[in-house]
Amino acid sequence: MSVRISLDGVDKAFTSRRTGERQQIFRDFSLTLAPDELVAVVGGSGTGKTTLMHLIAGLERPDAGTVSTGGGRPRLGMVFQQPRLLDWTSVETNVRLAATAAGVDPAEVAPILDAVGLTDYARSYPSVLSGGQRQRVAVARAFVVRPEVLLLDEPFSALDELTARRLRLLLQQLWLRTPRTGLLVTHNALEAAFLADRVVVLGGRPAEVVGEYRIDRPRPRSPEDPDLFDVHRRIVAALT
Amino acid sequence: MTVTHPAGVEEVVLGGGRSPAPPGRPPATGVVARLTRPLPALLLVGLLAAGWQLMAHTSGSALIPGLGAVARNLADITTSGALAENVRVTLTRVVLGFAAAFVVSVAAGIAMGRSEWLRRFLEPAVLIGLATPGLVKALLCVIWFGVSLLNPVLTVALAAAPALTINVAQGVRSVDPALSEMAHVYRFDALTRLRYVWLPAIVPDLFTGARLGIAMAWKVIVLVEIFGLADGVGYQLNLEFSQHNVAGVLAWTVAFALVMAAIEYGLLQTLERRAVRWRRVALR
Repeated sequence: MSVRISLDGVDKAFTSRRTGERQQIFRDFSLTLAPDELVAVVGGSGTGKTTLMHLIAGLERPDAGTVSTGGGRPRLGMVFQQPRLLDWTSVETNVRLAATAAGVDPAEVAPILDAVGLTDYARSYPSVLSGGQRQRVAVARAFVVRPEVLLLDEPFSALDELTARRLRLLLQQLWLRTPRTGLLVTHNALEAAFLADRVVVLGGRPAEVVGEYRIDRPRPRSPEDPDLFDVHRRIVAALT
Repeated sequence: MTVTHPAGVEEVVLGGGRSPAPPGRPPATGVVARLTRPLPALLLVGLLAAGWQLMAHTSGSALIPGLGAVARNLADITTSGALAENVRVTLTRVVLGFAAAFVVSVAAGIAMGRSEWLRRFLEPAVLIGLATPGLVKALLCVIWFGVSLLNPVLTVALAAAPALTINVAQGVRSVDPALSEMAHVYRFDALTRLRYVWLPAIVPDLFTGARLGIAMAWKVIVLVEIFGLADGVGYQLNLEFSQHNVAGVLAWTVAFALVMAAIEYGLLQTLERRAVRWRRVALR
C-alpha cells in the first residue's frame, strides 16, 4: 500500500537538560511526502532532522499540529545511524524477529540476507561483523518487513566513504525492487541527491524549509552523474 | 545476484550471499584448559586441609578433630543415606524458595527499572529486606508458619529476593534505550521484548543477583532448619552440635559446601557461560 505522509502545523520543543532552556525545534512546520516518494532532508546539526524522523516513526509526539501517516499506523522499516542490532542473537534472528513482528513469513529472511550478501553470516553473532556488514543487517531488517514507510536516519554516516558508497548502491537496488514512501535524513548533500526524489533543506531555529530540489534523474543512478553534482552544489549553497 | 548498471554506474553485488571470511562462532574449549581450570581452587582447598590437619595434630584437642575423623563421619552419613536424604530435603526447600523469589524479583525488578514511580514505591521494601538479618527472617517465619513447608520456602524467598530485585532493576535501567526504540519501531510484542531485548541485556546483573540471593538462601535455610524443623542439613548440624560431635558438624559442613560448590561451578557458571557466550565471540 502506498502511503502519504503529512506533517501539518507541527510544533515541537525540548527542554535542554544542560541549561534548562526551552528550545523550539519546529513551529507551525508542514511537510508532505507523496506516496512512493523518497524525500531527503538535509541540514546542519540541531535543525530538527532527527526529530522530524522520530515524529513520523511515532517515537516523539508533536506538541501541536498533526502527523498523518495514511490514516493508520503503517509498517515501518527504519535504518538508524547505528545498526541497533541485538548482539546476543544471530544475524538471522535479528532479521527474523522484525519479519515475524510485521506478520511477514520468516521464509523471506533468507532471500533478503542473500540480497545484502550476508548468507554466510546468517548464524553468526552481529559482533563479529564489520561496521558495513552490521549496517547491511540493519538494511535487511528494514526491507524484510515490506515497509510501507522507510525511514533512513543518517544510515551511512558512521561508515567509511567506500563502504557507505557501496551501501548507497545496495539501497538503490533494493528501492528499485519495491519503491515505497521514504524519508532520508542526512548531512551528506551528495547522498541526498543520489538517493532521493526530492531534497528538502532545513535551516534555522525553529526549523524551516530553506531550499527544495526535485531530482528528476531516472534510477538506477550513478554516483558519478554530473547532474547530481550540480544539485549537490545548489544544496550546499542553500546550506551555507 | 549481480546487477549490472548502465555505463558509469558502479556494480554492486546484490545477492550471491557468499562472503570470503567464515562466520565467527565459538570454537570448542581446549581439553587441557578445561582440566587445568580448577587447579588454583583445588590448591587452596589442599592448603587449607593441610593447615587444619597440622593444627589438629599439634593441639591434640577434641574440639579440633583431624581430617581422618571428619572423613569417617562423612563416610558414615554418606553410607547410611542420611546425607543424600537431608541434602535433598534442604535443596528442595532452597529451590522452591529461590524459584518464588526469582519470579517475584524479575517482575518487580523490571517494573522498578522501567518506572521511576514504581522504583520509588518499591525501593524502601527492597532496602529493608536487604538490611534485615537472615536470623530475624528465619525466626519470624518459624514463629508464624511453624513446621510447614511454607516456613523454609518463604524464608528463602525473603532472603534471596532483595538482592535479586535490585540487580534486575539495575540491569533493566542499563538496557540501551536505542534498542527499546528499535523494538518500538518494529513493533516487537511484550514477550519478544522480554526474551530478546531485556533478559539478554540484564543477564550479567541477573547472575550477580542470583549468586547473592543463593548465598543468602544457604545461610537462612540452615537457621530455619536449626530453629524450627526436624530434618535437613541445618537440623543435622544442630543434632551433631548438641552431641558435642565436632567431627560430625564438620562432616555436614564439608558436605554442604561441596553441594554449594557443585551448584556454583556445575550449574550457575555453566548457565552464565552459555548466556554470555556472544560476548566471548565479540572479544576474539
